Amino acid sequence: MMNDTLVRIDNLSKSFREGDTERVIFRELRVIIRQGEFVVLLGRSGSGKSTLLNLLSGIDQPTSGAVIIGQQNLTGLSEHQRTLFRREHIGFIFQFYNLIPTLTVMENLLLPLELIGTAGAEAERQARDMLGEVELADRADSYPDRLSGGEQQRVAIARALIHRPQLLLADEPTGNLDAETGQQVLALLSRLARENRMTTLMVTHSLDVARLADRILTIRDGQLREDDVPKDRL
Amino acid sequence: MILWRAGFRYLLRHPLQILFAVVGVALGVAVVVAIDLANSSADRAFRLSAEAVSGRASHQIIASSAGLPETVYQQLRLAGKWRASAPIVEGFAAVPGQPGLTLRILGIDPFAEGPFRTYSPGIGRGSDFSRLLSEPGAGLMTAATARKLGVKNGAELPLLIAGEERSVTFIGLLEPRDQVGSRALENLLLVDIATAQELLGKLGRLSRIDLILPEGDAGRRSLQQLQQFLPAGAEVITADRRGQSMAQMTRAFQLNLTALSLLALMVGMFLIYNTMTFSVLQRRPLLGALRTLGVTRGEIFRLVLVEAVLIGLLGTLLGLMLGILLANGLLALVTRTINDLYFVLNVRSLALTPLSLGKGVLLGLGATVAAAFVPALEAARTAPRSVLSRSTIEGRQRRLLPWAVGSGCGLMLISCAGLMIPSKSIPASFILMFMLITGYALVTPGTAVWLLRRLQPLLKRSFGMLGKMAARNLVAGLSRTGVATAALVIAVAATIGVGLMIGSFRVTVESWLHSYLQADIYVTTESDGFGPGRTPLKKELLERFQEIPGIERITRARHLKLESQDGISELFVAEIPPASFAGYWFAEGDRQQIYQAFSSAEAVIVSEPYAYRRNLQRGDLLTLRTDQGEKQFRIAGVFTDYGSDQGRITMRRQLYEKYWQEPQTDALGIYLSDSAASADLVQQLSRAAADIQQLVIYSNQDLREASLATFDRTFAVTSVLRLLAVLVAFVGILNALMAMQIERSRELAILRAGGLTPQQLWTLVTGETGLIGLLAGLLAVPLGIAQALVLILVINRRSFGWSMQIAIDPLILLQAVLLAFGAALLAGLYPAWRMARTQPALALREE
Repeated sequence: MMNDTLVRIDNLSKSFREGDTERVIFRELRVIIRQGEFVVLLGRSGSGKSTLLNLLSGIDQPTSGAVIIGQQNLTGLSEHQRTLFRREHIGFIFQFYNLIPTLTVMENLLLPLELIGTAGAEAERQARDMLGEVELADRADSYPDRLSGGEQQRVAIARALIHRPQLLLADEPTGNLDAETGQQVLALLSRLARENRMTTLMVTHSLDVARLADRILTIRDGQLREDDVPKDRL
Repeated sequence: MILWRAGFRYLLRHPLQILFAVVGVALGVAVVVAIDLANSSADRAFRLSAEAVSGRASHQIIASSAGLPETVYQQLRLAGKWRASAPIVEGFAAVPGQPGLTLRILGIDPFAEGPFRTYSPGIGRGSDFSRLLSEPGAGLMTAATARKLGVKNGAELPLLIAGEERSVTFIGLLEPRDQVGSRALENLLLVDIATAQELLGKLGRLSRIDLILPEGDAGRRSLQQLQQFLPAGAEVITADRRGQSMAQMTRAFQLNLTALSLLALMVGMFLIYNTMTFSVLQRRPLLGALRTLGVTRGEIFRLVLVEAVLIGLLGTLLGLMLGILLANGLLALVTRTINDLYFVLNVRSLALTPLSLGKGVLLGLGATVAAAFVPALEAARTAPRSVLSRSTIEGRQRRLLPWAVGSGCGLMLISCAGLMIPSKSIPASFILMFMLITGYALVTPGTAVWLLRRLQPLLKRSFGMLGKMAARNLVAGLSRTGVATAALVIAVAATIGVGLMIGSFRVTVESWLHSYLQADIYVTTESDGFGPGRTPLKKELLERFQEIPGIERITRARHLKLESQDGISELFVAEIPPASFAGYWFAEGDRQQIYQAFSSAEAVIVSEPYAYRRNLQRGDLLTLRTDQGEKQFRIAGVFTDYGSDQGRITMRRQLYEKYWQEPQTDALGIYLSDSAASADLVQQLSRAAADIQQLVIYSNQDLREASLATFDRTFAVTSVLRLLAVLVAFVGILNALMAMQIERSRELAILRAGGLTPQQLWTLVTGETGLIGLLAGLLAVPLGIAQALVLILVINRRSFGWSMQIAIDPLILLQAVLLAFGAALLAGLYPAWRMARTQPALALREE
């Protein structure tokens, strides 16, 4: 593994049993993602994009192969160890935000910090700074259901970044937003990821979004291919 | 900390759901605590009063109901070896104008009292002491008792003893050292032994002699030497034996009440299980999100469990308060039953023991944790994905169905097999009954799905698409409806089971009374119940009654209590004419042959409970202590009798008079030449007895009614428990179905947006809840009947030895089904009303 390699996917296969038949999602994927890269993952619905994200975050286990993040082979860890790894090293952004409805915006940001053992005034300072970054400092005490979709996704981005994870995974983060809001959220996500030199893997359907990427990967027929980044990159 | 906040705020955001769960736990805990407090208060009152009258005695010399000749005591004192001995004459008196209050009269020899009863420093010295000896009819009591009776020092206190008016002069106070002593001496009237003998009509007799014997070999030697001073009918028993025998009498009764109260808690547990399962299902996406953020399974498990504990804690605290309030009401019912069936007991106040309250806390929290364990485990298993689709959950539930049905059937089979094994263990019977209930609960969701599928075509034909939708929604939402239906079934079945058991018992007793009571009129003395220990009738009464025209025959009866180291036996001595004997029910043997043996040989008949408790059967020999020493009697038959749960021995009068020297009578059976004239004859008998003795005279019909009134009083506590189980069931139904419908707000809003009118929405929601209520009510019927059968055939038999007829009252079944259906309909009203008046757009946005 090269020195600046963060993610290495080695002969990764995933299949599900559906009754008597076995449905192969993908077979023997290999890829390397370097530190600080912004990678976009394309593919049709049901091609296995979200499954790949789940495997990268340790949420799911592959049928065979290995996922190595930093020096850690996730496939060798127990479920509990993978959870502890995830809380420290992975940030996740979802299409439907998945904010905790019973926590305020500020508390939603404090939760990942608390899980890694950062609490008190320092945690609050970091959360306020992060809210400032996503331009929601004035909504710290609001509950998620009081925010617009765009605002909720900005909180979700802040929550994913606040504990400075090694790897940021985003699953169609603009899929639930209108075009204009989606562009704003993407710009914010891209800016923050690059400023923080955060390795990002984003699943999307949109070729427009792909223009933001350093690299584009596509899952097609159970195989992972590298495509060229469109020339008019933003 | 923030994670906990997320959980607690969830609770706060669902106040109605949580309120119902808290109320469910509270009611369950309240019932258990109330029964425990009532039982333990009665036990404590009994123990204190037993201690008060036996003091430091290690042994007691006892004899038949007629008591010991006082010469036995004189001989003991003269022998000089038993200086620590004290004679006692004991009895009970009613106080005119104080209904329900019974005074215990304790006659003592103040000179002999010193080593025995030290609770009152005043005894043995001072002016009150000498007045007690010198003034005939003088008595002492505590200040609290005197206040209660409204008597002042020096005043005369009227008493009613065995139907005769008597009086004592209240001359001074007993001064107990502390609160415990004060409670022990409540309702006690201390008099000199001669006064007691005169008041109670026991001249020359003693109730017992208290002894303090040394421990070890010296004590054994002393006991052996004592035997030569005892007359044939007397026996030495250890002092605590008497208390144990009396406590044992009420044990089965109290155990049954405890088990029934636990049934209410079990229904409460289902409520908690339902609430927590529902809250987990509702929060699956949220829990999934938390898992994605890195919250471990253990943290999720603890979060759900702590939430449940919080609900349990609130419910338990509320339950303790409710329990104390309820116990005050139940105490009167429990004490009344003990007085009706067992012995005189005054329980004026509730004893709030930390043990009873601690048990309530442990049960409340324990039941909550046990009920929340599975939902918490289910929550911890939530996959860390953004959203786990509802169909996946329902799919898993459906895959689990065959397993649930299989293990439910297995549990029921084990339970049935266990119940068929001959045993006398009451706790084991209840455990097996709870297994049966749990097994049935596991089978319920599968059965409900099967029935709903079959109902779909019928519902479509009757109510159109909405009817079909209602049934399909319930099947599709198995994760929500399955547990709710099982909870309702258990709650409703409990009410059926207890209701049918009481009903069957009542029908049996009614028919038994009809057959057993053959005389036209019954006469007895004023007493605290129908049991032994009644004051004898004066001889001249019988002579006067025989002169009254219209009386064909008078039979004499005597109710006695035989005490021994083995316990207490009730002996009923009677003259039973052949026609009356025909009213006795015998499980085995030819009645003619039994009567032949009973009326001519040295034989007795014993009741079912007596035979059951002592492992006796027809043909066995029974040893009784007579006034001529121990004597064996053949058991000619075992008869059905519901008059005493301790059981009784019935002996013909001539046989009794052969071995006992107390030929008295305390009850008469009067047969008339014209039964229709009984009302007139009752009047004539009352007038004839007026100047001799106050009597209680019942016509056959009146006695039957009085006996059934006692029966109803006995089961008043059980009926209260049944009502409370109904209440818990009602709360459970409301909770489960209302939460289910509120959770469907979005789905209903979509239907509204699609053109469903508010009226149609009402129909759909109440149709669904009504359908599930009706289904639960119907499914509760077989379980309720099974519970009734277990209660009648196993638990009552093992507790008391009674065999009973089984009467399935369709009204009770109908009531139960209507309860489930009505409560379920009611549960649908709020969500239907809420959704019908909410704009669909708003409901969709809120989601």
